[in-house]
Amino acid sequence: MLPESVAKLGKLFSRLPGVGEKTAARYVLHLLTSDPEISRTLGEELLQLHARVRPCVRCGNLAERDANSASADAVCDICRDNKRDGHMLCVVGRVHDLFAIERTGTMRGRYFVLGKLLSPLEGIGPDDLPMMRLISRIREEGVTEVILATPPSVDGEATALFLKRELGPLGIAVSRIASGVPHGGDLEYTDPITMSRALAGRQKL
Amino acid sequence: MAVRSLHVSELSARGFRNLRGEPLRLGPRFTVLSGDNGQGKTNVLEALYVALTSKSFRTSKLSELLAHGSREGDDEAIATVRAHVIEDGSPRVQTVALRKGHRLVKIDDKRPASLAEYAVQSPVVVFHPGELSLSMGASAERRRLLDRVALYSAPVALDSLGRYTHAMRARQKVLATRGVGASDLGDWEALMAEHGAATCEHRRRAAEKLGARASKVFGEIGSPGMALSVTYAPGGPEEAEELRRVLAELRPADLRRGSANKGPHRDDLALTHASAPSGRSAFSTLAAPLPVALHPVRGTASQGQHRAIVLSLKAAEIAEIGAARGVRPILLLDDVSSELDRERTRALFSFLRAQEGQVLLTTTRPELIDIARSDERVDYTVCDGVLSALVDG
Repeated sequence: MLPESVAKLGKLFSRLPGVGEKTAARYVLHLLTSDPEISRTLGEELLQLHARVRPCVRCGNLAERDANSASADAVCDICRDNKRDGHMLCVVGRVHDLFAIERTGTMRGRYFVLGKLLSPLEGIGPDDLPMMRLISRIREEGVTEVILATPPSVDGEATALFLKRELGPLGIAVSRIASGVPHGGDLEYTDPITMSRALAGRQKL
Repeated sequence: MAVRSLHVSELSARGFRNLRGEPLRLGPRFTVLSGDNGQGKTNVLEALYVALTSKSFRTSKLSELLAHGSREGDDEAIATVRAHVIEDGSPRVQTVALRKGHRLVKIDDKRPASLAEYAVQSPVVVFHPGELSLSMGASAERRRLLDRVALYSAPVALDSLGRYTHAMRARQKVLATRGVGASDLGDWEALMAEHGAATCEHRRRAAEKLGARASKVFGEIGSPGMALSVTYAPGGPEEAEELRRVLAELRPADLRRGSANKGPHRDDLALTHASAPSGRSAFSTLAAPLPVALHPVRGTASQGQHRAIVLSLKAAEIAEIGAARGVRPILLLDDVSSELDRERTRALFSFLRAQEGQVLLTTTRPELIDIARSDERVDYTVCDGVLSALVDG
């Protein structure tokens, strides 16, 4: 029913997270019926995306490449920010997690994105983690505290245990983010699993 | 705690196995589904079970539940089952939608916090002929029984077990691919120990509750002079540190075996029966010192005794999860009378009548169901996935 190009673009949109076939079709029809300039700008931006945005060479966060520089390397805003506390390093699994922590506005230190978690079932072992990069960064920048902010999944927990042990010989403070009840809510509405983790991770007053 | 009423008034299924046609209206007490073999009677029970728990009692592969013919290569096929539940007078709609590899659950169009939370909303207990293996067969069926009961007293039990299983598989994979000296083995073992110990605790508590009730029921329906004892038989150390130590020690053995030798994945429920000393009823032995001769039921009990043991365990499950939720569980009986002799069938139905909960049962011979056709009983025939009401003749 749909022209081939429309169907093809729809299929591509529907591969994006949270976009189903119906929404994908709406996007295509919207682009077709709107100002062609929108499609053109969108297309140009997409073409440039991977060339302009690179993983930060220091932390793995997203970084905009310097257009005037010949080097393909890029350093992100957080790593360049002099006001950040260079002694504190927060280790996360994915860039998404970095953004979630950054949104809180309470993290004063810098980050290190692992890019993956230990997951033997998916063939990911310790050799696949960027340990050399992490350790040399800790040494070079004089980091004194590492916060392990991998997710509370089994793979995330295993990765945290592994990192804690590997970083042990460096003699720095290593901590793990807490898991517990959401702020501002009634305890009554907290789901039992979150509640039981909050109980297990209780703190002395 | 007062026992609240619970029943399903209507069940609809779309794209689910061979089921077709109008939603099924259920009686608040007995609904009898009859029909020849292979027509879809069990599919109806399964659809209701899936709607209330998001799981099947026949298979762990969700894709098998999608309508026949739509499975192969069709990633868009969706099966939806929906139950109208009435608890203590207030209605709710529970919906489970299945698509290849995905499942979506809703209660009145809202998504619950977890599948565990969903699964304990409307307690349902199924009893099918395969469950005779509860007493005679391998331990997996008995572990599942423990986990079902544990789930009702602590929804986190399911989470602990899932995490234990994940860590166990990861450790085995590490052993197989990188050997007994791999640097992250200890981390996976630490997680196995933490979640394994939690799983043991949940199961031990479940076994204690279940065992006390099952022994009591067995005293009533089993052979005179016989007592049944049901106890938790852990498949490894129950304490985290000890389990961790044992796992580290058994790495070479576990590598050779291809799976872990110790741990809650090898738990069992030990069933032993004993002849009571003469002059005492089977009942009194429960509180009294243990009788002289204890025998594991596997290998020593007769066919009839096995059936009485299974019935006792199921009755205990019904009572325990009913007590945990404060409602009478809904019972699904799949062709049970085909496996029971006349006497035990009669005992079963008198038990069911005393239960006062909702019961759905399937049979190839409706005339053998010992429940009078009345306001209490609704009859349907199932033919090629279509249900039709049976006019009372």
